Amino acid sequence: MTNSKERKAKSKEPRGSNNVICIVLITLCAMLFALRSSSVEAKVYIDIASPALKKLTIAVYDFGGLSGKQISDIIKDDLEFTGLFTYIDRSAYIEGLSQPFNPKNWTPLGVEIVVKGTLKEGKDLALPVSLFDVFEAKEIFKKEYKTGKELIRPLSHSVANDIYKALTGEAGIFRSRIAFVAEDGGTKDIYIMDWDGKRASKLGLKENLILSPHWSRDGTKLIYSAERNRQWGIYLVNFLNRAVKKVFASKGTNIAGDLSPDGNEFIFSSSREGSADLYTMNLKNNAITKLTSSQGIEVSPAISPDGKYIAFVSDRGGTPQIYKMGRNGSDVRRITFEGSYNTSPNWSPKGDKIVFSGRRNANQIFIINPDGTGLIQLTTQGNNEDPSFSPDGRFITFTSDRDGAKGIYIMRANGESQKRIMPRKMKAFYPRWSPN
Amino acid sequence: MVTQLNFIEGGLMKRALVLVLVLVFGYLLIGCAQRKVVQPQPSATSAETRAKAPEGKPEQKVPEEKITEQQIAKIETGEGEIPKYTEEKSIFDDIHFNFDKYDIRPDAKPILQSVADWLMKNKSADLLIEGHSDERGTNEYNLALGDRRAKSARDYLVALGIPSGRINVISYGEEKPLCTEKTEECWEKNRRAHFVAMMGKIK
Repeated sequence: MTNSKERKAKSKEPRGSNNVICIVLITLCAMLFALRSSSVEAKVYIDIASPALKKLTIAVYDFGGLSGKQISDIIKDDLEFTGLFTYIDRSAYIEGLSQPFNPKNWTPLGVEIVVKGTLKEGKDLALPVSLFDVFEAKEIFKKEYKTGKELIRPLSHSVANDIYKALTGEAGIFRSRIAFVAEDGGTKDIYIMDWDGKRASKLGLKENLILSPHWSRDGTKLIYSAERNRQWGIYLVNFLNRAVKKVFASKGTNIAGDLSPDGNEFIFSSSREGSADLYTMNLKNNAITKLTSSQGIEVSPAISPDGKYIAFVSDRGGTPQIYKMGRNGSDVRRITFEGSYNTSPNWSPKGDKIVFSGRRNANQIFIINPDGTGLIQLTTQGNNEDPSFSPDGRFITFTSDRDGAKGIYIMRANGESQKRIMPRKMKAFYPRWSPN
Repeated sequence: MVTQLNFIEGGLMKRALVLVLVLVFGYLLIGCAQRKVVQPQPSATSAETRAKAPEGKPEQKVPEEKITEQQIAKIETGEGEIPKYTEEKSIFDDIHFNFDKYDIRPDAKPILQSVADWLMKNKSADLLIEGHSDERGTNEYNLALGDRRAKSARDYLVALGIPSGRINVISYGEEKPLCTEKTEECWEKNRRAHFVAMMGKIK
């Protein structure tokens, strides 16, 4: 997903092909000179798939000027939350920002990677950033960032993404966003904020009641359910033309689930025929297909990343439990057997895990394999609900009332570093991590 | 882009070749360096794309944009208008349900009988049944549970002789609690079907 986004971003760059030619020719020159030109992309400093992971020790300079410290702090916070880096405080640095990089200044501190840059604050911001490998005594990454002054946070997250990519070989999620529902003076609205809880802005929907938003896989659309005129309808927000379209409404309760990976259809729960069953609707020809026909309640359908399966909640066995079936409704299997109340399933981006909320006195977040094995409880304090994976599968956002007020939290996918990411005064629900 | 400048040192090739290559190389480096300054992107229209100008490029300042109410209202006009009523909210008592259940309890039956009696006498009125749940559990499941509770009440009234066409149901799940304390007494108050008499359609 993220790779395709990057490819798209690059292809939009009109001079991209020229740059590629430049790089190719420079590389050829270098080879002719028969000098050691290190292959930067090849070295992975942290193998994030490794179970015996050793943290990388990193130094990030204050980039100077009025905003240099803020940018540096955002990068540091992004990298630290991954659990992959140990940050060495600036007060320990021997080398001045303007002095050339010298590995001898860093080895005694145990620093392995140094991030340097000097912020230029004119009308806009310009920040050249260099990444140095202390052990090999060389620069391994260099790039200049430019942006308007109001976009300091996106700029900082972009730098963090590039550092993360250079060191792990994987795309960072620091530019991803979280959609959620919150109350706003009597009405409800969908908000979108950065993954760290900052820069929240609302869409301006002013609905009476809104349920969980679901992103399209390309991040350009959101589908949600809202109650208007005593009917639950399903609505599609298209960010590209800033339009909201009603795509389905009927008598009964209609609750949107996921959009399909190709974006051509969505899955939903509707009680239009009596009990709540699951349906798919084709967005091109409005054809509706019924997938389940039980007497019980069927809600919260989630489509697997490969589009082949649907995880959902059903009380057909007497209590709400997580089930899995084929995309056409075939081969229904129960996944959860522990506990008498398991709801809100969501897939990991690779499709190898399902995260859900299960009641054990209070509601807690669990992950489980799609075949029902490997159940792990991730939360213990308060009520925790509505889990959703980050696009790289390394983090989970969810709601918790552990400090008395329901709010949005994030944690690592193994349950570490649980933290509230928004102010206590805002009542918020249904966080959904953007796919890119 | 990663630019490595240190590979000119220590050339072992013939001088002429080195000279030519250095010139070509230098030209390329300058050419590439100049291309680093990239024009701003054309203005993006969405909140999402606005915030996501490609990395390393200038992110153009774009005015705050929202999905306006007007746009939503315009889209809404295609929708069939639902008849409006004057609502009498407090004629009937609520009926209550056990946790995660939607069957009609014995204590609800006299209330449902009184609702049926009233509807028999007031033929011009319709009834809206709201189904509700307590706050425990997941909103989506609770919404489906509220739907089942409202429909249980409706089915009971239909069995008492009220035409189903006079009864509308809506579920609010846990979205409209009567009571917000975290006690069983409070939760039971919230696990309810609420009856709203709808007194004649307003054109």
